[in-house]
Amino acid sequence: MLNRRLMVVLAAIAILVAACGDGDTTTTAADGATTTAADGATTTAGEDLVIGVSWNNFNEPRWANFDEPAIQEALAAVGASYISTDAGSSADQQLADVENLITQGADALIILAQDGTAILPAVQSALDQGIPVVAYDRLIENAGALYVTFDNVEVGRAEARVIFDLVPTGTYAIIKGNQADANADFLRAGFEDVIGEAVAAGDITICCETYTDNWDTALAQTEMEQFLTQEDNAIDAVLSENDGMATGVVAALEAVGLAGSVPVSGQDADFPALNRVALGTQAVSVWKDARELGKAAGEAAIALAQGSALGDVPSTIIFDSPGGNAMTSILLTPIPITSDNLNLVVDAGWISVDELCQNVASGTVGVCP
Amino acid sequence: MSDTRVAERAAEPAAPSRPRRNLAGRLLRATEVDTRLLGMIVALAVIWVIFNIFSGGTFLTARNLWNLSVQTAVVAIMATGMVLVIVSRNIDLSVGSMLGMVGMAIAILQSEILPDWLGFNHWAIWIIAVVVAIALGALVGGFQGFVVAYAGVPSFIVTLGGLLMWRGVAWAMASGRTIAPMDGTFQILGGGARGSIGSRASWLVAILGCLGAIAMLVSARRQRRRFGFPLRPMWAEVTMGASGCGVILASVYVLNHYFKPAGLAEGRTDIAFGIAVPVLITLGVAMAMTFFANRTKFGRYVFAIGGNPEAAELGGINTRWMVVRTFMVMGILVGIAAVVQVARLNAATTGLGTLAELYVIAAAVIGGTSFSGGIGTIPGAVLGALVMQSLQSGMVLIRIEAAYQDIIVGIVLVIAVGIDTVYRRRMTT
Repeated sequence: MLNRRLMVVLAAIAILVAACGDGDTTTTAADGATTTAADGATTTAGEDLVIGVSWNNFNEPRWANFDEPAIQEALAAVGASYISTDAGSSADQQLADVENLITQGADALIILAQDGTAILPAVQSALDQGIPVVAYDRLIENAGALYVTFDNVEVGRAEARVIFDLVPTGTYAIIKGNQADANADFLRAGFEDVIGEAVAAGDITICCETYTDNWDTALAQTEMEQFLTQEDNAIDAVLSENDGMATGVVAALEAVGLAGSVPVSGQDADFPALNRVALGTQAVSVWKDARELGKAAGEAAIALAQGSALGDVPSTIIFDSPGGNAMTSILLTPIPITSDNLNLVVDAGWISVDELCQNVASGTVGVCP
Repeated sequence: MSDTRVAERAAEPAAPSRPRRNLAGRLLRATEVDTRLLGMIVALAVIWVIFNIFSGGTFLTARNLWNLSVQTAVVAIMATGMVLVIVSRNIDLSVGSMLGMVGMAIAILQSEILPDWLGFNHWAIWIIAVVVAIALGALVGGFQGFVVAYAGVPSFIVTLGGLLMWRGVAWAMASGRTIAPMDGTFQILGGGARGSIGSRASWLVAILGCLGAIAMLVSARRQRRRFGFPLRPMWAEVTMGASGCGVILASVYVLNHYFKPAGLAEGRTDIAFGIAVPVLITLGVAMAMTFFANRTKFGRYVFAIGGNPEAAELGGINTRWMVVRTFMVMGILVGIAAVVQVARLNAATTGLGTLAELYVIAAAVIGGTSFSGGIGTIPGAVLGALVMQSLQSGMVLIRIEAAYQDIIVGIVLVIAVGIDTVYRRRMTT
């Protein structure tokens, strides 16, 4: 009897201590954050900063290979620490991830949104707690966040310009990305800017257009096969919104012997795509030097964590988002890579000559031996 | 013919309360055709006709059906193995992730490791890749089976863990990169421009198939006579033989009328693609699996375990070892499917095979496999895969949005299984 009562008392004390302890930490964190944010003049030393990055999914090649190292480098330059989470393509998971990063003591967040609309509550919650947010590459409709991206509409225009030059009249197929990703619509708007007039004039017919769940490569291949069946191979050009889907599109074209004669576009400059540009089966891959993006986002996150206001971050402009928000943004310029300027990616150390020139017949491409 | 529902066959003639003594009923009973399989073939035909109407006649063209046959291959190959897994009262949720991992492994092997040793376009590269794919699949499958059988962890949990793990491994192997392109000969295994056997070889396969079907009918009849079982009427045998042959010849006829575009055939427009290599692989796998399921001890034991695990155990079947082997077979089939998928795409991405397990399970279930165990057919699963893929490809052809596609596929799946459940209940009451 006595033992049991003793146990209960001890348990109660333990719980109380734990609760009080937690209470303290929460208070400290909140205080710390408020002080840094409110007191614009004081800058916290770089070493004390923790920057949290919420990735949506590491399945696209570029994030782990280029964006992440670049961000880490920018943070290491001032001694800030880097923590990250991977949401595995789940919007719900990403909400939890953002909370997790805040709990781990992030002073600023960089978020690559799986779903720009679904992430809004987490973003608002972070901003309310005084933690600045950088929307990385994908739009988050909250004017309190800093939008760091390549000008995605410009990416679309760059892709379309190359294809339009090659095929000014004819039938186009458009393979778009994930419907829930605002970028898919930005790119489409870029395409429209370049080919819209020709479509209205009847010179170009868009026979086939579709969104592709998760920007999936194999799905893009099936979609292209169906389009080719529907049009009986009479497709003259394909605007694919990224390289992953371009892989599937080119595989479908190859199966009917049209690879190389039907120009295909893409973006991300991933290695198989650049190889295809060298081989001639892909006309263009828009290079967004993800290292530049990572660096810009990392530096912006540090500036924000140190107390800068949104407008004071260097190189920002105001971008009017489709949702009507005046987003403070850093818009970087993309570079379209065609067979004429492959040397750019080699010289910048983005891809090695061996990988670029796999199976390329010698003498066909300047950069390849 | 290759049916395992002995209970139902026994129930049919002993149902005197059946009022429909009409021609159709007698026809079905005499030919002993599995009505469920027949129902599915009818459903497939209905789906095809509907899509043909809505797509303005494009669905039922040689070209689209040829594409459909290749698109179905990956899921169909895995579905044949899933039948055995489900029949033995287990489930394998990890097949999609396993596919991604094995695919990534053989892609890296082909484009990075082997060229260093053997040089590009060496004749042995594709052989090594296929062997590694099968071995890796068997290893992983066997491992999962071992944990299920000997550690007693429910297969749902083990394979759920597998679903998460193997996707992670696939990512780790290449740090998220897409690996491309594949070896030249390897690509043939995925269909595409060079991946079909041409019209002459296809006709040869058709004739062999026809002869094989007739030989099976003859041998089955002989076996029945030998053991004193009631024989089917001759006209029923002839009808079965004729329809079997008819289906085979008609399919090959269609596949032989998809002609290569001038660009691939040096200007000629009369060279047909013929049967695609992945389709041949699928047919070979389906026949092998049907043989294993119906004619070997392994197959009989799997169905016994599914029907009544305790009785099987008491009857002397080493149920644990059987479970390991079932999962190993599933793993081998995943390896083969990975070869076809990577060859077809000519690349491996970390997202390869995502959600494939759902389509594979749906295919097996639509094909008549029951989750309560002990019931299922391989040809049914292949048909189920064909139904699923027809739906999906057809919907892309008539431009239904991705979200609505998912809704429709889900509804069809539930209806198909619902009809099957009701049918079974009527049969056993």
